[in-house]
Amino acid sequence: MSGEVAALAHNARWEVTRLHRSRRIWLLLIPIVAGPIGSGIADLYLRVPSSGTAEVLGLLITAGLAALVILDLTALAVGEDLALRTHYLTFALPQPRASALAGRLGVVVGGALAVYGIGAIAVAGLAGALVSTSSTAPAPILMPTHLALGLLGLLVFLGGVTAAAGVVTRSASQALVAGILAGVVAAGIGSMFLVEGRLTALFPEVLAAAGLVGFSWCLVQYGRVEG
Amino acid sequence: MIFSRPARTRVPSEILTVDAVWKRYGDHDALRDVRFSLRSGEAVGYLGPNGAGKTTTLKLLAGLSRPTRGSVRVQGLDPSRDRVRALRRLGALVETPGVPPYITGADLLEYVARVKGVSSAERVGAARRAAEAMNVADCLDRPFGSLSTGLARRMLLGAALVGDPEVLLLDEPTLGLDPAARHDLRNLLRSLSRNGLTLLLSTHLLEDVQEVCGRVLFLRNGVLVGDELVNLESDLGPEGARRTVRLRFGSDVTDESVARAVGSGVGVTLEGPRQMIVRFSGGDAEQAGLLAGVVRAGLPLVSASTPEPDLARRYMERVGREDAA
Repeated sequence: MSGEVAALAHNARWEVTRLHRSRRIWLLLIPIVAGPIGSGIADLYLRVPSSGTAEVLGLLITAGLAALVILDLTALAVGEDLALRTHYLTFALPQPRASALAGRLGVVVGGALAVYGIGAIAVAGLAGALVSTSSTAPAPILMPTHLALGLLGLLVFLGGVTAAAGVVTRSASQALVAGILAGVVAAGIGSMFLVEGRLTALFPEVLAAAGLVGFSWCLVQYGRVEG
Repeated sequence: MIFSRPARTRVPSEILTVDAVWKRYGDHDALRDVRFSLRSGEAVGYLGPNGAGKTTTLKLLAGLSRPTRGSVRVQGLDPSRDRVRALRRLGALVETPGVPPYITGADLLEYVARVKGVSSAERVGAARRAAEAMNVADCLDRPFGSLSTGLARRMLLGAALVGDPEVLLLDEPTLGLDPAARHDLRNLLRSLSRNGLTLLLSTHLLEDVQEVCGRVLFLRNGVLVGDELVNLESDLGPEGARRTVRLRFGSDVTDESVARAVGSGVGVTLEGPRQMIVRFSGGDAEQAGLLAGVVRAGLPLVSASTPEPDLARRYMERVGREDAA
């Protein structure tokens, strides 16, 4: 294995160990379990007019939970070591720093997006099973498939902003706050576009691109951090 | 002619090199034109008061930071650019790294072993050996949050030893250790050094250097103000000479050229490219003859002085009274 690939693999495994030891790994179950449960309760007890609307509701619940997970895990993956000065140990190891962090972020971000995907599929299945659509039901406010992909862009954005903030602040808690604020701003702008009827696929695409820029910037800066 | 020098200098390869290094933080120069090198198998103490730049130097060598000017080399490689190869055989404990409280000693040591390329079959054994060397094998399964300061420190020292490094950089390694653990660590470092480990030991404790190192560097306000042997008497050979003189030269000289100039029966030990220790039997007349020989040989002699054997006194002279232990 090359140095970069080896560092990715070793640190992905290291992150799994950290998630396991800290029991944060259980957070990854929340979007899979709580998302569909919350969605199912809404399907059963709210007067949801159509399965499409039920899907929209369930996706928002699941993505909200996944957002909390990605914010928390990303903030800790980047900021915890810098805050504790664990990097005095890990930076002196024979591995490229950016690849090492990429391995760790790959686990937490990939894991959070994966569980969001699983939750979204479960929500769609539940909506179809629990809610019947009458012929007079209004169309859902957003196309569920589009919303599902758009929320994916939002999650990538939140992760990228949090990762970048983690390097800047060298603190998991401050990175988390930055990610939450970014999420509030993004949700506000998205809502405004929705109300004004100007919400298109461009918005989540821009969010996802910004998130990827955030991740890239984080990796570059992490390689330059001076102890 | 008797040409004696310590055994370690027989291997000329320079394994650590700090060459004309400057490190600037804001408007403050933490290091100013620092130059030294360590040969393979040398154990060198790095002494200086707080803020002198010792940890900064170690950070540069461990790839944690880059020099503003000049270069550092670990086994001939720049640790900030060629990290994987340069740091492969290096163990380092710089400052006091924190470890997340939920991580166990075994987790950390096995992770370090994995990154250092220890094979999966040997990884657990390598981690255990390192923990046993620091007498913390019983604590391997305990999370760091449950370890005392001293035990955590020993586990971190174990992490530096994982993978049998050829070069070890230690920053205040005995900090927080109880007297027995400190004694054990010094014994371990002496043993590793005898087996060829190259050691750079930054510390405030003179006895650490006295007991472990053969050579000592003095740093003050970012400037290297001394590079000399720790124990002049014991390092100068067995031939029973009685007088020791330090010769300083205006430009680089070799120990062979000095040995030729001073003649037979004189022990010559290299302290640096411009500094030699000569040891001989005799009094003032013999010393005058020896110096005359050096001058006749055309060597650029600047001064001749009698070195002090006492490390504490030398510390005071080089870096002042602050922090002398």
